[in-house]
Order: sequence, then structure tokens, then C-alpha cells
Amino acid sequence: MAKEKIKAKILRFDPDKDKQPYFQDYDIDVNGPVSISELLALIRRNIDSTLAFRTYKCYKGSCQTCVVRYNGKVVKACATQIMPNSEITLEPAAGGKVVRDLVVDFAAM
Amino acid sequence: MEVQKLTTDVVVIGGGGAACRAAIEVAENGLDCIMVDKGRPGRSGATPCALWSIQAPFGPRGRDERDTPEQFFADMVNGGHFIGDQNIVEIVAFNACDRILDLERYGVHFKKYDDGRFFQTPMPGQTYPRSCFMFENGQHMSTVLAKEVSRHKNIKVMKDFFAYWLLKSKDAVVGIVGIDMINGRIVVVNAKNTILATGGYTSLWGFSDNPPTLTGDGIPMAFRVGADIVDLEFNQYYGTDVIWPPSVRGTVVLYELMIDEFADGEIRDKYGVPIIKKPLPIRDEAIKTIFNVIKEGRGTEHGGVLFDITKSPKGVEVARDVFKEMTPKHYQFLIDAAGLDLAKTPLEVAPASHYQCGGIYINEKGESTVKGLYSCGEAAGNFQGANRIAGTALTDTQTMGAQAGGCAAKDAKKKDLIPVDQKDLDLALDVIKEIVANKTKKINPAVVKQEILETMDKYIAPFRDEKGMNKGLSIIEDLKEELPKIYAPADINKYNLDLTEAIETKMMIESAELTFGSALFRKESRGHHNRTDYPEEDNKNWRCHTVVSNKNGKPEYSKRAVIYTRMKPED
Repeated sequence: MAKEKIKAKILRFDPDKDKQPYFQDYDIDVNGPVSISELLALIRRNIDSTLAFRTYKCYKGSCQTCVVRYNGKVVKACATQIMPNSEITLEPAAGGKVVRDLVVDFAAM
Repeated sequence: MEVQKLTTDVVVIGGGGAACRAAIEVAENGLDCIMVDKGRPGRSGATPCALWSIQAPFGPRGRDERDTPEQFFADMVNGGHFIGDQNIVEIVAFNACDRILDLERYGVHFKKYDDGRFFQTPMPGQTYPRSCFMFENGQHMSTVLAKEVSRHKNIKVMKDFFAYWLLKSKDAVVGIVGIDMINGRIVVVNAKNTILATGGYTSLWGFSDNPPTLTGDGIPMAFRVGADIVDLEFNQYYGTDVIWPPSVRGTVVLYELMIDEFADGEIRDKYGVPIIKKPLPIRDEAIKTIFNVIKEGRGTEHGGVLFDITKSPKGVEVARDVFKEMTPKHYQFLIDAAGLDLAKTPLEVAPASHYQCGGIYINEKGESTVKGLYSCGEAAGNFQGANRIAGTALTDTQTMGAQAGGCAAKDAKKKDLIPVDQKDLDLALDVIKEIVANKTKKINPAVVKQEILETMDKYIAPFRDEKGMNKGLSIIEDLKEELPKIYAPADINKYNLDLTEAIETKMMIESAELTFGSALFRKESRGHHNRTDYPEEDNKNWRCHTVVSNKNGKPEYSKRAVIYTRMKPED
């Protein structure tokens, strides 16, 4: 089915276990472009369900709680498209303490 | 298992419009309140996805001086096919203006005419134009509400808090159990009254315009403690939600904006023929037309119809500006997430799951049938009837939110805190212990969830029959058998999504079961419940509620009379 891939480097950190954050590489099979939200959901469903990111959110570009740092720039995960065959880096956004992986306890929301 | 214990006067579950409004009312009655939300308050639930429309019969203070609360009441009763309980509809219709003035006081920006009257848009089902216009839509309203909540010192807000259990002591609900996802702690909130404002179950269906987290957690929680559940067969579909591409699937684009006052566009079949006549029909009729066009083979490649403003007689620029101004976030989202500009290309749209008309059975105070348990917002049932008209969902969050909050607070003042029953708490802890226990065969909850969504889409769409629903129900029952294999790791404390998803999946299965049961029980067609094996509306036998009661853990279905106060059916 899926002929194309996206390579994602994701910064992971569980304060209970890890001394330092570290990058983990994922190769994700896709059919055409996907949003970052979809990409993360694909990882969780098909590759690694321990990856943490915000799921209780709007998915429609409104609520802002899905923001992540994508190739260094803060974007809304649901409203940012990733093209097949690209290599990307995802890190937690600033604005609060990292709860785990990409989940931030935002001070302002 | 370490458990943190908190006490308060009233605990509210949810963080959308109804939950925030209920919490504010509790606080303004001078009581303490804890509000818990599985996301971030004001940014989770369905309210942030809502558009501009909140109905209130402002009459001379609005667009049409003829409008009155009585007329709003009548429009809701008629739109709901006469099975909304009128004691509750009265609260909504007669308090709407005051609650919207509250919103304005909190800081929500409404569009006004130069002389200060509320600007109001016409929507199908409204005798006079009645939808007040919120700039920046539902997200603006919900963040303003969350801010207002934070101004009250006697409301403690717990964010990223996954509530999954109502605690019962003898015959009363005495609080909740949940997981504080920020630190992984199990938390008990012991309260005099509990308000469920957990939202609807629309995302039991795969194709939905609500966030996938709207899994209706309140229904199985309330059912377990013996609260009656009502009218689950009336899941409202919305006619025109984007079906392609996947990154924007389920984005609502309003067919109500196709009238000549706005964009003057058309909903077309794949040949370009307009299919929805003007004046526009109300929602249950609109979706039937669209479904039939798709069924007849006149749908698009991805199974939709075309939402087209590109040939508007007003000019495409003017038509586009309508969407840009009235639904700015959704307009931009389509561009950002999929490169879709509706001014350049017609959108492929189809009916999607949109709003739960039924829910927890309540009275005009928001009380359920169990002591100590209240409900409001989309989680509550029995007043929207068989179909909800446009712009009443947000009105309901504010009117019944304030009502349930106020009544729960007044009642709490009169009583003492009942302590938690340890046996019931142990049962709640067992739920988690079973999921994290080591097992030989492990199932990922995300996979089971996917099967639930597909089953609902396939067997309990707006057109349904006994054979299909029995098949769907048997799939759900088979999935239920698999539940003990669902696994989440025990060594992750913080934001353990596998654990919350596992519990959510369990609750989804229970909601799905009750929904199939209710739809099988009602042997007629009405509003959003279209039985192809019983195609007629049968007022003689079925102008009533479907109630599910908990009889020793098993669902029992029965009819219950509708409460009429001002309007009796004419026949």
C-alpha cells in the first residue's frame, strides 16, 4: 500500500527515567502528504505506542495545544503538512515544563 | 497504588463551554469547585471547534423585533420533532439572552449594528434570524470562558486530568476518580455534587467533525452508577464536512452560508447539478438529500458532493470573504493543512457525525436520576429531541451550564459530604490494575478504537436497519470480549496515553453498545434516526423518549413520556 516514507527524528524524554533528552528515529510509511498530527498518530498506532504527544485537542487549527518545534520552528501540528520522502525533526515547544516527549505543561494555557 | 484524595463542594468534569459555565456559577454561589479536563480548559472538547452561531431571541435588541423567547422555544420544539422535554427547553429559550450578556461581560466579542443591537444571522429552523455572531468563533468563546474560570479563586482547575469513574456511596454519587496525567497520580475528588459536562459521543464514529477525543465518557460513567440515559439513537449528522484529503477530513464548512445573503453558492453532485434547494432545509432533511445523491452514484471520487462557491453570482472574491470573515479559523486551516482554498476549487464534502442529541437524562435543574449527579451541555439529553437546530448547542452550554452549576451549588449548601465507599474505590483502581497487569497476549487500544469507529460508520449511519445494526452490535460485543487483552505499560507515569486510551476504549465500547441498543429499540424514523425497515414517523407509538436503565449491570430499554409545558402536539 504505502510506497512513500517520511523520516522523523523526535526528541524524547521521560523525566522519571532519562537523565537527558535523546533523539529517536522513526521511518513512517505514508500515502501522500500528512499533517504532523497524522504522522504522530501513525507512529503511535503502527510503530511505537509509548511516544507521548497531545491528543486531547481540537485538530482544526484553533486550540494551539498541539504546537511543536518542527525543524526548529514552532508550528501547529494539525495544520502543518509534511511531504513524503522528507526528513524532519520534531521537538517540544517552549512555554512550560516538558511532561514527557512532545507534551508540554504550558504555563499560558 | 498511591491515591491522592481531595475534597470540594462541587466537582465538574469537562473543560468546554458547559463545564466552564457550570464551574463559574458554582463559584459565584460562594462554594468551592474543582474542574477537571482531559485536555486544557477552553482548548479541548467541542466548543473550540464551534463556529460563530449562538442563538438568543434578542428581538428589539437584535435583528428582528418580532422575535421572542416563546418563538425560540417553539422553533426548538418543532425542530426536535416534539420529543424535547419542554421544562428544559424553557430554561434554554428564556435564559439565552441573559447568558449571552454574561458572555459579553466575560469578554466575548459579538458583532453589533451601529446602534448597539446584536447582529444576527438567519439559520434554517429559526423563524427570525437569531444566531448572534461571535468573532473568532467557538475558540474565542471557550478561551474567554476558561479565563473567567481562572479569575475565581474558589475554582481549582486540574488540567490533563483523565476522569473515568463516578464514585458511589449507597444511593448517591460522591465524586470522581481520575488520572492526573502530568504526574501519573490517581486522584479521588470527594464532592457533595458532581457535574458531568463531558461532551458528546460523536467521535464514536470515524467520520466526525468533532475532535476524536469526544468519546462520550460521561455516558458509561453515569450508566454504571444507575443514571438513566436517553435518546442515544439521535446522533446528529452535519451535511457538509470535508471528506478529502485526510489531513482536513471532518472540517465543517457551513451549508447555511450558501444562501444569497452570504456566499450564494451551491451544493452540487459530481455533474455540477445543484442538489439543495433554497430556502435551505433544516439539518436532518439536508443530510437525507446528500446521502441519497451519494447513494444514487452521483457522488464524487471520495464519496462526497461538491461544496462550491466558485460560480457564485456575487463573484468568488465576495463569496470567499464571507468564509474568511465568518469562519476565519476553519478557512485558514484548510489552506494550511491541505492547501485547499475554497475560492479556487469546490470542496468534497459529505455528512459526518456532529452532535449528540441524547445523553444523560436530566430535569430542568440539570439533575440526573441519581442523587448527587448533574449533567449539562452535550453530555445531557432529552431536550434537543430528534434533531438540533443550528446555533442551539452553544446556547445550551451557557443556559444549562449555569442552571446545573447553580442548582448543584444550592443543593450542596444544604448537605454534608458523604465519604467515599472504599469498596467502590477499589473497583475503580482494579480497572487500572487489570490494564497494566502483565499478560501473554497484548492488544494496542488504538487498534480496537479504529475497529469501533469503522463499525459505527458502517452499521449505524443515519440510515440503518435491524439486520445491519445486529451485525454491528455483534462486532462490538466481540470487541468487548477482547478488552481484557488491552494493555498499557505500568512503568510510564507521565502522560501515559496507552493507559488513558485503554480506559477510553472500554468506555467507547459501552457507549456503542447502548447506542445500538437504543436505535434497535426505536421502531420508527424521526429526525436523525432513519430506520429503512420502519421509514415512517409514528407519532402514535413513538412520540416519546427511549430510556436505557441499568438493571443489575445490563441495559434495559423502555419508553418514557415527553414533558410538555407550553406546546402540545396538535394531532
